[in-house]
Amino acid sequence: MNPNLIALIVVIPLATGVLCALARRSTPLCRFIGLTALLANLGLVLAMLGSLGAGQPMFVSMMGKWAPPFGIAIVFDGLSGTLLAIALTVAVAAYIHSWNLLPRHIEHGWFHPLFHMLILGVNFSFLTGDLFNLFVAFEIMLMASYALMCLGGTRQQMSQAFKYVLLNLVGSTVFVLTAGMIYGVTGTLNYADLARFVAENEGALPTGFQALAVALLFVFCLKAAVFPLWFWLPDTYHTLPSSIGAVFAALLSKVGVYAVLRMYPMAFANPGVDDLELVRAILSILAGVTMVLAILGAVGATNLRRVVAMILIAHVGYLIFGVTMMNAESFAATLHYMAQEMIIIAGLMLCIGLIEQRAGSVDLRELGGLARRYPLLSTMFFLLAMGLVGIPPLSGFYGKAVLLREGASSGAWWLVGATTFTAVLTLVAIARVWITAFWSEVKGPLLDLPEGAKAGPDMPLPLAYAGIGLLVGVSLILGFGAERSYSWTQQATASLAAPSIYIDGVLDLNPIRDLPDNSTLALIEPDLQHTVTP
Amino acid sequence: MTLLLGICVAVIFAVSVYLMLSRELKSVAMGVFLFSHAAHLGILAMSGQPVLPGGVVKGAPVLGTSPNGIHVDPLPQALILTSIVISFAIMAFLLTLLVTTFRTTRTLNVDRLSEEDRPESMSHSVSREVTA
Repeated sequence: MNPNLIALIVVIPLATGVLCALARRSTPLCRFIGLTALLANLGLVLAMLGSLGAGQPMFVSMMGKWAPPFGIAIVFDGLSGTLLAIALTVAVAAYIHSWNLLPRHIEHGWFHPLFHMLILGVNFSFLTGDLFNLFVAFEIMLMASYALMCLGGTRQQMSQAFKYVLLNLVGSTVFVLTAGMIYGVTGTLNYADLARFVAENEGALPTGFQALAVALLFVFCLKAAVFPLWFWLPDTYHTLPSSIGAVFAALLSKVGVYAVLRMYPMAFANPGVDDLELVRAILSILAGVTMVLAILGAVGATNLRRVVAMILIAHVGYLIFGVTMMNAESFAATLHYMAQEMIIIAGLMLCIGLIEQRAGSVDLRELGGLARRYPLLSTMFFLLAMGLVGIPPLSGFYGKAVLLREGASSGAWWLVGATTFTAVLTLVAIARVWITAFWSEVKGPLLDLPEGAKAGPDMPLPLAYAGIGLLVGVSLILGFGAERSYSWTQQATASLAAPSIYIDGVLDLNPIRDLPDNSTLALIEPDLQHTVTP
Repeated sequence: MTLLLGICVAVIFAVSVYLMLSRELKSVAMGVFLFSHAAHLGILAMSGQPVLPGGVVKGAPVLGTSPNGIHVDPLPQALILTSIVISFAIMAFLLTLLVTTFRTTRTLNVDRLSEEDRPESMSHSVSREVTA
């Protein structure tokens, strides 16, 4: 398969966004264009994943045929491909769901173009192999998310949006400054070249390299909502319509985790380099504290959205824990866990949207008896929630089991303890939601309406169910097909444990580095040749 | 020169952080704009001739060296240019958001805005704003 096809994964959402902007007066047309494009994109990603294999660990496309590390590399490998496939699945589900549940005044107009621009930013972040390019991708994603947040134009949204924009602006500025400084001390921004640089300069890393690694970690942790930078997340997700909230919860925070997973084992916290011990220690502390504190927040919250948002943050802690162990098994487990969690969190957010529409509230104190009134919705919620808790045949179990095993064998006992504690409290939080909202007696502002009332609760919403059903299906496949899905993630993350696969894969396309100096100069400026001191 | 730039960056960062801690959203927005300028100047300050661990002076990319120091590395300037364009767009967005926020809430004070967050006090504070 031609590696330059990767560009399509970015170009399709861009083109769709533009088309939808042109067609924004006709909602059905936008929906048609949008769904077709998302499915085409998903199909392309799956086809490319299928043609990855032992002989072809990754596709690398160099834009404009500039040789790496000078040009910008776009890299499609098992890790980015798997996450792209999951992200697009979530996007399809949320998109279908939004047709039924997104209020008309929000959907009509700019929702469609912005949604695709968001997907563009997410896809680009997963694909790029260049630190500065990652900044640009983040900005595309954030710009779309800022605008999506303000779509409703309510008071609450406005003040939350301002906080969100400010916080992310500070994050982006620190990112661009750090990227510039990393270029200043290493002379490169290409991930593979950075990794090569760190490995080659072991023991003699430039002054301040650790500080830059930590500053970059600040940026990614802000995106991933890791302690102590999580406070914005529950407040923000609160104000969003559920379809948009699902995409934000599943994609935006995971892009930060992806960046850590991609760059830290290979370069900024390379386990073979003693100088970077501090960065690894910081990662472990962040992982442990994030899971414990966030899950306590989940147990105490009464708003369903807040419960899910806090559980999401707690589980980001698991993923960071997986990164800190730095071995092949833990990376595979991290990817497996991350993939299934993106599906499940999005599914739960979509379920909550449906609950809000059916029962008129998402507050646990006002809900009850959903299981009796809406058995299908409750079954889907139950399957997703139990997957999140990690009851064995469901998908959350495998990643967590391997993480615990690896943690125990690498002696990270306090993190193993924190993980177990978090798993138990996740069960408590979910059980609390289940008992109060789904069991107990029937209540809820809209549930007590007399038979035949005209209000919303009994409207058929097939598309919303279909969206959730799609995610439940994928989560069940990941769980019941764990043997295959886990061995796939092992294969996909091989390059994290053995960075040379990634480095060689990207840098081997490099003819210029090997040319003798004079011939390189001859290409550029013949007059300069005599001034070069050998 | 680098020292001078460094001092400029530090001063601008200090001013912008001071502005960002203010209660008025207008000042906060100004602080954010200054913050990005400081970052750009910081990149510029970094872009001289970085000395790599082996004592190798690294110049412009592709060339690999900087013959007699004639060439400055153009890449940081490209980074700054890209970043300026992006922060320009975001500045426009932020100002629009400020105007919209003011139109819907009639205030740009952080304290009053967080009052607005609480639904029970919403109608109350709106009527107070209108009469004021």
